[in-house]
Amino acid sequence: MRNRNLKSSIRGLAAAAGCGLLVGCSSSVVVLSDFPTPLIEPLPVRMGVIYDAELYDFVHAEQIPQQSIWTIQLGDANIAMLEPLFDAMFLETREVEDIPVGPVDIARLDGVIHPVLQRFEFDVPIGQRDEFVEVWMQYGLTLYEPDGQIVVEWTVSGYGKSELERNREQSVERAAIVAMREVGAAISTQFAEQAEVAYWLEERQNESALAVDSRIAN
Amino acid sequence: MNPHWQLIQESPTRPRRPAGLLPALAAGSMLLSGCGVTSLMEPYKQTDAVIGSGEQVVVLARKHHASHEAESDFVDCISDALARGDNGIEVHSSTQFEDMMYPWFEPSTAPLDTTELGELLDRPGVLDQVESTGVRFLIWLDGSTDRVSSGGGITCAAGVGGAGCMGLAWWEDDATYDATVWDIHELSNTGTIHADFSGRSVMPAIIIPLPFIARPQAKACRGLTEQLEQFLTSPSGDGEGINLG
Repeated sequence: MRNRNLKSSIRGLAAAAGCGLLVGCSSSVVVLSDFPTPLIEPLPVRMGVIYDAELYDFVHAEQIPQQSIWTIQLGDANIAMLEPLFDAMFLETREVEDIPVGPVDIARLDGVIHPVLQRFEFDVPIGQRDEFVEVWMQYGLTLYEPDGQIVVEWTVSGYGKSELERNREQSVERAAIVAMREVGAAISTQFAEQAEVAYWLEERQNESALAVDSRIAN
Repeated sequence: MNPHWQLIQESPTRPRRPAGLLPALAAGSMLLSGCGVTSLMEPYKQTDAVIGSGEQVVVLARKHHASHEAESDFVDCISDALARGDNGIEVHSSTQFEDMMYPWFEPSTAPLDTTELGELLDRPGVLDQVESTGVRFLIWLDGSTDRVSSGGGITCAAGVGGAGCMGLAWWEDDATYDATVWDIHELSNTGTIHADFSGRSVMPAIIIPLPFIARPQAKACRGLTEQLEQFLTSPSGDGEGINLG
């Protein structure tokens, strides 16, 4: 009986030590930030936006050799970055569930945009001379016609670095926020410059002008 | 208007002296002669623009380099020091300015020269937003503080009778920064200040380690701030500044 208790105690201690080691070797980051509204002129289109579950719940997990298991939650930050961005970029935005959109939204929307976080990479240095935590992110933006036809698929990347401090998690969070701001800057300043988007915007403007003309004629 | 430079040698900051450690102090004193901070300041003011009443400055770090970036605490040090005192200059928060001007002052989008600044101000709403901040002068900080060399070593041991260390460690830090001042009203480069501060720290250990730490970054902050105050308040950039109060 005593022997069984001893074995049980040893197993318990080993499990506790294992858990302790695991906790000691894991780093968890929840990226939380308010992102500013961009200072840009809105494009004259009404857009639907698909924020799917993967974007809302995005978690990056990675084991860094000789370091620890990192878990980085970016879901809330994704929405906090993209919502004010799209609100400022377009005349009107509304969240839609799927593409093609329903009959009501077909008449009310000029297009639908679907952002996806495709890649997230980061580096936390070990050496004394490496002073920056670095983060690199790549988003994919797909612009659809309301009927589901793809107008353009565009990838946007952002790089961020942050001084390495004692709290490595905070450094990673700051670098991720810098990278996300870079992504937001690229989307807001370069989206309309993409050739396909520029052509699509021109078509929308021509359609609007024609609609106004026909209303005047009637 | 003319650029000038100054080279000075200063003593390092010394922590409180533990009593009864004369041998260590003697060794430290000997070593002090070989350590300290040397500085080189090269201010060059190109215009006679000065800051007016109600006008503000903002201090921003250049962030487009992959290898280095002015440290956030260095930016804070300059901002705080400029704002301090009876004749302190009105300094706008860097973070707030970057947020208000988003996305135009991010690492990839920030203007690299005054021509790009002019193009940026031509964009709809940007000039109005800048004016709403009250900022007239942008101060760009470029550079960093790096450890350029280190050496020596200290060995510590502990036993029943006590513990102690023996040896000597030293390191040298180099704080090199450029502060470039842009005048938003005139769309011109008001001038540049180059600061190079180098400091060697030593830590002799005879039973206990005694650090004699040189702080070139703190000295660079003080030196740059003094020069920036003159830049912003004196037409020539090197005389007595005007009283902003």
